[in-house]
Amino acid sequence: MIMNKYTTNRLVTTSTLCIGVLVAFTLLLSGCKKMLDVDSSRIVGEKYMWNSLEDTRAALMGTYGLMRAALADHNAHWLYGDVRAGEFASPNRQDLRAIIANDLTASYPSLEALSNWRRWYAVINSANIFLERVPEVREKDLRYSVNNMTVDIAQIRFLRAFAYFYMVRIWGDVPLIISSHDGSFENKPRENQDKVLAWAEQEMLAAALDLPYRYSASDEQQQGDYYNEDSGRWDGALARKLTAYAVLAHLAAWQGNYPDAANYSKFVLDDYARAGMGYISTGHLTDANGFFFNKKTNQLFGFAFDWGHVDASFTGHIEELTLAEPVVNKQIPDIYLPKDSIITIFNEAGDERFALDTLGTPVSERYFSNYNGKYPIFSKIKCIMGGVNDPSFRIFTSAIVFTRLEDITLLRAEALAVLGERQGAINLLNEIRTRRGLDPYNEDINGDLINTIFLERQRELMGEGHRWYDLVRYNRIRPSHPMIGQLITNGGILWPVSRALLTQNDQLTQNAYWQ
Amino acid sequence: MSLFCTLLILGACPSFGCPNLIADSKKGPLVDTINATIEKDSLTNDSAVVQFLPIDRDRSLFTDRNPQSISLPSEDIAHYPAVSLQQYLKDQAVGLYIQESSGEPGTIQPMFIRGLPMPILSQKEVYQSQPLVVLDGIPLISEHPFAYDIQQYDFNRIGPATNLLSNIDMNNIASVQVLKDLAGTAIYGPLGANGVIAITTKQPSPTRKISFNSYVGIAQRPTVTTINGAYENNFRRQFYDRYTASGQYSADDTYPLYLSDSLNTAYYGSSNWTDNYYQNGLVYSADADISGGGDRANFRFAVGHMQNRGVADETGLKRYSALFNINMKPLEWLLFSAMINGNRVQRDRNRTLRDRFATMSYIPDLASPLSPNNDIYRGYLQQFDNSFDNNATNIVEGHAKLVFDFNRLKVTSRVAVDYNEGYRDLFYPRTLMEENSYASNYYGYNQRLLFDNHLSYDVDLGAQHTLYLEAGSTLQWDAFKYNYAYAYKGINDFIKINLLESDPDNLDYLVPQAFPSQLVYKFLDYTKQNLVSFYGRGSYNFNDKYTASLLLRSDGSSNAQPTSRWLFAPVLSLGWNIKNDLMGDDATFSTFNLRASAGRMGRLNVFDNFSQGPSYSAQLSYTGNVVAPGYNGFGVLARPYEFGWSGYGIPWAYTDQLNIGLDMGLADERIRINLDWYTKHDKNQLLGIPSYAEYGYNLSYEAGMDVNNTGVELQLSADVIQRSEGRFSWTPTLAVSYNQNKLTALPGGLDEIVIGNRLFRVGERIDQFWLLQNEGIYLTDAEIPIIGGIPQHFNGIALRAGDPRWVDTNGDNAITDVDKSLIGNIFPKVAGGFMNQFSYGNWSLDANFYFNIGRNVLNADMANRFDFINREGTTNMNSVKEITFWEKRGDYSQYPLYNPWSNVIPYRADQDLFLENGSFVKLRTLSVGYDLSDLLKGRSSTIERLYIYCSGHNLFTLSPYTGRDPELVDYMGYDTGYGMPIPRTYTLGIRMNL
Repeated sequence: MIMNKYTTNRLVTTSTLCIGVLVAFTLLLSGCKKMLDVDSSRIVGEKYMWNSLEDTRAALMGTYGLMRAALADHNAHWLYGDVRAGEFASPNRQDLRAIIANDLTASYPSLEALSNWRRWYAVINSANIFLERVPEVREKDLRYSVNNMTVDIAQIRFLRAFAYFYMVRIWGDVPLIISSHDGSFENKPRENQDKVLAWAEQEMLAAALDLPYRYSASDEQQQGDYYNEDSGRWDGALARKLTAYAVLAHLAAWQGNYPDAANYSKFVLDDYARAGMGYISTGHLTDANGFFFNKKTNQLFGFAFDWGHVDASFTGHIEELTLAEPVVNKQIPDIYLPKDSIITIFNEAGDERFALDTLGTPVSERYFSNYNGKYPIFSKIKCIMGGVNDPSFRIFTSAIVFTRLEDITLLRAEALAVLGERQGAINLLNEIRTRRGLDPYNEDINGDLINTIFLERQRELMGEGHRWYDLVRYNRIRPSHPMIGQLITNGGILWPVSRALLTQNDQLTQNAYWQ
Repeated sequence: MSLFCTLLILGACPSFGCPNLIADSKKGPLVDTINATIEKDSLTNDSAVVQFLPIDRDRSLFTDRNPQSISLPSEDIAHYPAVSLQQYLKDQAVGLYIQESSGEPGTIQPMFIRGLPMPILSQKEVYQSQPLVVLDGIPLISEHPFAYDIQQYDFNRIGPATNLLSNIDMNNIASVQVLKDLAGTAIYGPLGANGVIAITTKQPSPTRKISFNSYVGIAQRPTVTTINGAYENNFRRQFYDRYTASGQYSADDTYPLYLSDSLNTAYYGSSNWTDNYYQNGLVYSADADISGGGDRANFRFAVGHMQNRGVADETGLKRYSALFNINMKPLEWLLFSAMINGNRVQRDRNRTLRDRFATMSYIPDLASPLSPNNDIYRGYLQQFDNSFDNNATNIVEGHAKLVFDFNRLKVTSRVAVDYNEGYRDLFYPRTLMEENSYASNYYGYNQRLLFDNHLSYDVDLGAQHTLYLEAGSTLQWDAFKYNYAYAYKGINDFIKINLLESDPDNLDYLVPQAFPSQLVYKFLDYTKQNLVSFYGRGSYNFNDKYTASLLLRSDGSSNAQPTSRWLFAPVLSLGWNIKNDLMGDDATFSTFNLRASAGRMGRLNVFDNFSQGPSYSAQLSYTGNVVAPGYNGFGVLARPYEFGWSGYGIPWAYTDQLNIGLDMGLADERIRINLDWYTKHDKNQLLGIPSYAEYGYNLSYEAGMDVNNTGVELQLSADVIQRSEGRFSWTPTLAVSYNQNKLTALPGGLDEIVIGNRLFRVGERIDQFWLLQNEGIYLTDAEIPIIGGIPQHFNGIALRAGDPRWVDTNGDNAITDVDKSLIGNIFPKVAGGFMNQFSYGNWSLDANFYFNIGRNVLNADMANRFDFINREGTTNMNSVKEITFWEKRGDYSQYPLYNPWSNVIPYRADQDLFLENGSFVKLRTLSVGYDLSDLLKGRSSTIERLYIYCSGHNLFTLSPYTGRDPELVDYMGYDTGYGMPIPRTYTLGIRMNL
């Protein structure tokens, strides 16, 4: 009985089973495809990108962010600009000492990173992709207006050109790549730096035409709220028309093209009020929550680490290099300016930035703290956390400022002085001097005009990544520095190209000085 | 989906339902009793022991498919006071290599079966090289490496970072099989591409049985030589004396403060910190199980608790475990079985500065290291009293299986789940870190859901022929997720958690209350991976002489690109029972089998990035800040320049394997030999090639890396002295494997490639060090070779007196990377175990040795000590000095005195000066036991067996290595000095069956 039941059961089950298997199999095959099509929740695939204005905003901000990363990596902006000038000394960090001694091929991770231009090309690639793909968004998203696109493209073109300008100052000839080559990358040789700069200048000029003076501020070239955010969100965060002219002025000056430098800088100085900018006081310049804290309209071209946006970071700030006790909890600074240098540089009484009183004690601690200690602490920029004086936590919020109005003023003064327009130069120089508590320029007291302008630049822009380039420009005008003069002649002002890059791309060659 | 899943239960089958119960040959007489009982039960007619039913037929036919792979029976393995499966198996399985880089209980221990399938560059490659562990047919899921994306340092994964294979209690295990060739692994699919460790739990028995096992022991505090500031000062003085005139190398040079003042007792006083760092650790374990029921329904239930304290830094691990098996046979033709294994693992982690700073992503001022003075060190440790670091992991796996047994046709359908979740709640008070408190919370899970169906048909072809057909499908859903947040600078040390405003009506809803919102960092990540497999296998046996088995499978992965989603893979296995065929009456050979398997198996992509083609992500990171969240408060999208380019057209990677094996038994199985030769070619693998820097990319992921592993494995076991000849017996087992790897192709036809500080060259090993060869020192400037008026350079820097004399291999008088050579190897060429089992009467003695031969260790710890100039005063991870800085390790005198200030970094780690022979032999287990069963037989009827033992573990290590234990190296082959000693442990244990 039991056996019988079992057999029938078995037969019935076997036949249903076969049909079941067949049905299931067909269903399964169609179901499998669905099961295997899993969209990543970690990255955005091509099909979900370039569809809406949120995508262009993300890509635009991403390009800025990549630029900030390039400048901040290993504190590159200051290692290139301030440390290499050789005026700061480093008590402990052997890699910084190597930079100071111009041993740029020494094998430290930071030097290897500084010789590698990849991060700059990430900016460029991101920009190239943007320029190639942005029309798709215009087609797909009606909210994305022509004006919005024009302004976006202008910023992207400017950022790309700026990246090339920055790279040329570091490496000279660099590969000029102006399309994304997505998926069909090819190794390119280095392009002559003059050609690269000429191209960058044209790009920046074109961008400058389309860029507004301000965003979300009823500028005729950018109407309405930019990406639906008010001016408070954008002020100081983005490249503007005057940003482009300021960088153009630097580009021209670097080429020794002082007439153009004077023209471009004039544009900035004529229109800064329209862009909502003005000269800043010494107090504001050096306050923990002053000019360098977060983003500011006066940061003519800056990359902010906004405290409120949880952007504060431990590295990527001059403070990481310069600050130590008593400003922050750290026994010895990575770099410091020796006392002798301080006295030589700040040699005028009444200087609000730094001056000694008759007894030889500092009048203020704006630029230097712990002046009488073993290591004077260069504390001009000291944006700790939310702009406070708490030494306990070394997380910083200062922006990376490439240029500001005072820089352009002095740059124009330099240009005018070189071009022989002495009075114009002196007037501009005095714009800065008087705001820093100094008497107007007097040749009998202050000496040579060009020297004074460069000295003023050194004092005003110390720790902002300018000094090395200033020294190069100065020595091109007046070869005086024993080492830099020679380096200009033999190409040693350039950095070596990273060995990793040379291995990857057989079209590249090492800079002659570093071969 | 769910619709047809239900349908499928009808026509279904378990692929993973084939755990082989090839009992791991039982040699110890004591063991025989237990295993034999289980075996017999499983064959009882009409019993509910369903686990083996579908396999039994298989087993009887194709014995030659899976030879013995574990040296000792699981009961003997259980003597080792191990935390993880890896520790149990380290010296047991030939061809399975285990990296135990720290003695800290519960840390991750990578495993490699038959060598390295790819170069190991980071934790991601470690993950991709791991074998699959299968528990009762459930393929266990491990932690996805995606969390490393937000980590500056990859020392430990965020979260509890507990070894997920701490969930195996060896007392519940009936057998372990290490499946190395495709004949054994193919059925497990692409998950098993790196080999499979198949574990089978003990099955219920229809009669009531109770057993109890326990041990208690102590992990012995190691003895070390301590040093203090005076010693370190003297060590450094010799460099100052030699290379400086005034004790200062340059005007800016500073001598560290902590060494400057010889009256400072904190550093110059007694160095007795070890009293608070090293300690004896208590280890114990107790577990009990009961099984019972009747013929048609029975169960086994086991519970256990284990603790394993480390010998340093108050580390330790606790495990609570429970395992439940049930088998039912409600109808003649229907079997139901279910298993659930639950474990909770809690871990006390080390308190090294490195791990703490890495967790915090913040390095405080490092100018003053920890004091070697015990009083001061104790004061420092007391600050931890106000902190917590809770690490808990819950690991649960289970399955429910239905077997429809229609005599020749069997259908199995199974649902299996493996789920594990980890928590880490962490708080460091202000006192510990320059007035900055830190809190972090982690929750993450890894989850695998499996639905598989298996259908088998035993074709009737007459007495001599056996044909066995199988077909199956597997649907597998994997999901990985974590939520993680950390915060700095709480308002006080009393609120230790990152409190958020919880009132939804409050404007500040979800705003952090105790920590500043600007210093709260939040992360979540989620990734999925689905796998669909179909397979069929036909196995044919002729007269127990010839066996052939062909498996065809097709696997589809969601991490493969849509255009190449599926991979078809065939595997052919052949067996020839020469004994039955040709030497029927031969007295010498009792077994003589020849096995061969060849075929292909797919390898899975770990990251879903590769399935998407070109993509965009939110990476704005730079060195030291890997988590830049956006720009101007907006989320951003850019190409993943840091991660690297991955385009279209990425094919499946796969492994082609050939294995030839010989199983011999001599003199009526008195001598047993398993010999295997294999070649394993892992092909078409993705490699991140540093390229396209001019397009912003760090790497480009290109397919086409091929790695070959070839090797020989021998397992030789002999009953040298048999019990039958007297009361004494001795059974030695030698399990030894030789492995050689070779890079056979790089993507794009490249010949060689430099990645980080490693060079990979086609035709060479993939685990070599790439080092400068050191030939001493240039004592004077005059010794430096000058060619064409230019003195020898190192990367553009002229060498001077006091710099190392590095071999200029290409003779261009410039030392560059080109002059580095591929030297040594990280992975041992020969590894294995030598087990000895002695018995005399009721006494038994085990002595197990573990050895690695032909392997190198780079003593980075020593390089760091000599490179003190570059480590002093800077704020980076290499400059962190742990309390163990005050321990003398190795022999300082064998290194030349270079000028440590030189920009060529004379004590750089990447030179053969610090490369040493890392071969070793360890006495891993020495155990003496006594079986009291006979004694009790007359007196107590309840106790079936009682066995007590006493054992010592890691008793000694013999090695030419001058540092500490040569096992304590990371996956790069570096001895960083961070590995905690693997302790010498003594235990006393009891095993009892009622």
